[in-house]
Amino acid sequence: MSTGYLPLVIFAAGGMLFALVVLATNWLFRPRHGGREKERTYECGLDTEGQTWIQFKIGYYLYALVFVVFDVETVFLFPWALTFKASGMVSFAEMAIFIAVLAMGIWYAWRKGAFEWN
Amino acid sequence: MDFSAIRLELVAALIALSLLAVGLIAPRGKREMTGYIAAIAFLGLLALAFLAPGHGSSFLGGRFLNDPLALFFKRVFITAAFLVALMSLRFTAGLEESRSEFFALLAFSLVGMMVLSSANDFLSLYIGLELMTIPLVVLTAYDRASGKSTEAGTKYVLLSAISSAVLLFGLSLLFGASGSLAYGDVAAALAKPAFGPASGDPLAVIGGVMALAGFAFKIAAVPFHMWSPDIYEGAPTPVAAFLAVGSKTAGFAALARLLFFVLPSNGGGLSLVVISLSVLSMVVGNLIALPQTNMKRLLAYSSIAHAGYMLLGLVAASRAGLSALLYYIVLYLFANVGIFAAISSFGDGGRSGEIASLRGLWKRSPFMAASLLVCLLSLAGIPPAAGFLGKFYLLAEVARQGKLWLAALALLMSLVSISYYISVIRVIIMEKAEDESRIRVPIAQKAILALSALATVGLGVFPGPLTAWTQAIAAAVLR
Amino acid sequence: MLGLNHYLVLAALLFCIGFIGAVAKRNAIAVLMGVELMLNGVNLNLVAFDRFGNHAEPLGQAFAVFIVAVAAAEVAVALAMILTLYRKRGNTNVDDLEGLKW
Repeated sequence: MSTGYLPLVIFAAGGMLFALVVLATNWLFRPRHGGREKERTYECGLDTEGQTWIQFKIGYYLYALVFVVFDVETVFLFPWALTFKASGMVSFAEMAIFIAVLAMGIWYAWRKGAFEWN
Repeated sequence: MDFSAIRLELVAALIALSLLAVGLIAPRGKREMTGYIAAIAFLGLLALAFLAPGHGSSFLGGRFLNDPLALFFKRVFITAAFLVALMSLRFTAGLEESRSEFFALLAFSLVGMMVLSSANDFLSLYIGLELMTIPLVVLTAYDRASGKSTEAGTKYVLLSAISSAVLLFGLSLLFGASGSLAYGDVAAALAKPAFGPASGDPLAVIGGVMALAGFAFKIAAVPFHMWSPDIYEGAPTPVAAFLAVGSKTAGFAALARLLFFVLPSNGGGLSLVVISLSVLSMVVGNLIALPQTNMKRLLAYSSIAHAGYMLLGLVAASRAGLSALLYYIVLYLFANVGIFAAISSFGDGGRSGEIASLRGLWKRSPFMAASLLVCLLSLAGIPPAAGFLGKFYLLAEVARQGKLWLAALALLMSLVSISYYISVIRVIIMEKAEDESRIRVPIAQKAILALSALATVGLGVFPGPLTAWTQAIAAAVLR
Repeated sequence: MLGLNHYLVLAALLFCIGFIGAVAKRNAIAVLMGVELMLNGVNLNLVAFDRFGNHAEPLGQAFAVFIVAVAAAEVAVALAMILTLYRKRGNTNVDDLEGLKW
């Protein structure tokens, strides 16, 4: 059983070796110019402002909370999709109800302005 | 599949979703209507529950069981939800926003309780439990103007998350010991070896104890009671009422099924655990209730003590014990709802709930004082209120089974409890209020108070119909 | 070869570490992280019992999936609650929740 993994190990080793070779070549031949400007934080080309420890807007958290809930509910969709052919119309109807309840949740969040960004 | 077994749950879930939708669609000025819609819907659901056939039916291959016991608990929960919805009308009228969600959450929590009482499988048990608890957490923190309410909600969600994790670990061990999640199969698997403290499968013993601990948290039995006084005090008064009657009764519904049908507790080590929970709850709850100065905290400790009395019915583990427990649950429902309704009639909607605010209530609102008196006497166990008979049935059954010391201890503790109930009654009747103005009791609160007082006296004077019903249930489910 | 006991011991350790974290940590977020560890212990237990038991249906795995989904809802509510608390008081220490007598 364990021999079946040999190609995978070779592939992984080859991949890592390739990356190392490329990085090493780059490191050997690149020109070296230091300097303050070069070592500053890079953020889309703009100069950074203030510290990293700032308070985020509350809207981020709302998005995150809504995302966490709806993201995890998809966990039920995968086993359902795998057994879909065997389980037939009853399970299709049940899943439709499940999705409808979730959609109701999204509608609620929408109407309450959880997705407004201002 | 027999969908008629879950029709009450389906209707309740539809009510919850519709309340949510109504709150979104209705024009801004008309949203207080959701409270009235909710109350009417719960009343309709109650009628449906009484029309429902009492014989057993099941769903999902027996994972969901709608037997007479479950139906009894469902009727209790729906009654509680209806009374709490009426009681909340005043609280939600004072809110600036999110009035309709309050009732939707109440309905979702009700669905959870109903599922919990019907659960015949660890999975439905867990789903019911969380469906009940999560909306209750949000309701506890509903009073956003009050810092206490947010704090209570945070405490509740953290502690209940820990307790349900402990419960789940216990259930996972029981699954390992028995190889099944369905109650019937688990019971059959656990009964095969001689299950007891000495010879039992340690996996099942530890699992059973951890599952018991999880439910001891829900019913607020000592030593898992620490959350309840803080949360009763911080939560909006109607929510505290729902926690006291709904959540606790739901805990008992699940616990009764687990102890009677799944965990072989008779003569085993688990019955010792239940007895200890009961004794500790009676002693600690009653003694700490003595020095309380806040009515909601007093009620929290008294409800801990009452959890101890009710556990006696599970200790007895007989038909008479179960019947006495069911009778006690009904009288406990009406007495507590009455008292919480009285607290919520005060000018601040019962936010403070200090006992001192009851001073001279006899002059300020004789009707409210009289109803409150009846409910307090019922909790204290003084005839003719129903509490006396409830305690009598429980203690008589425990004593009949030879546990005389337990009955004597319960009697002693109930005598101790009379002193703090009487001291509240003394404040109501004897002490003079600084402000002697009449209290305007809202009409909904008046109705609840009248119903609670009538039911409490009625059950005490004519216990016959209810005891006949509870005995029939006990006879039907316990063979 | 890994046996059932290895998984059970790991699950019990996870559960205990999570429990200690949930009970001893001062920060409410850390308490939640402890609870998540406890639930992972439970899930590992269920899946291991399911794998090594002799079952017609993968009940333990189904239970674990439900626990994952319900725990997410619970955590979302808890985080929202902690967020509200933070906006009111400026910290999330559970020791400081003394407005009520704990």
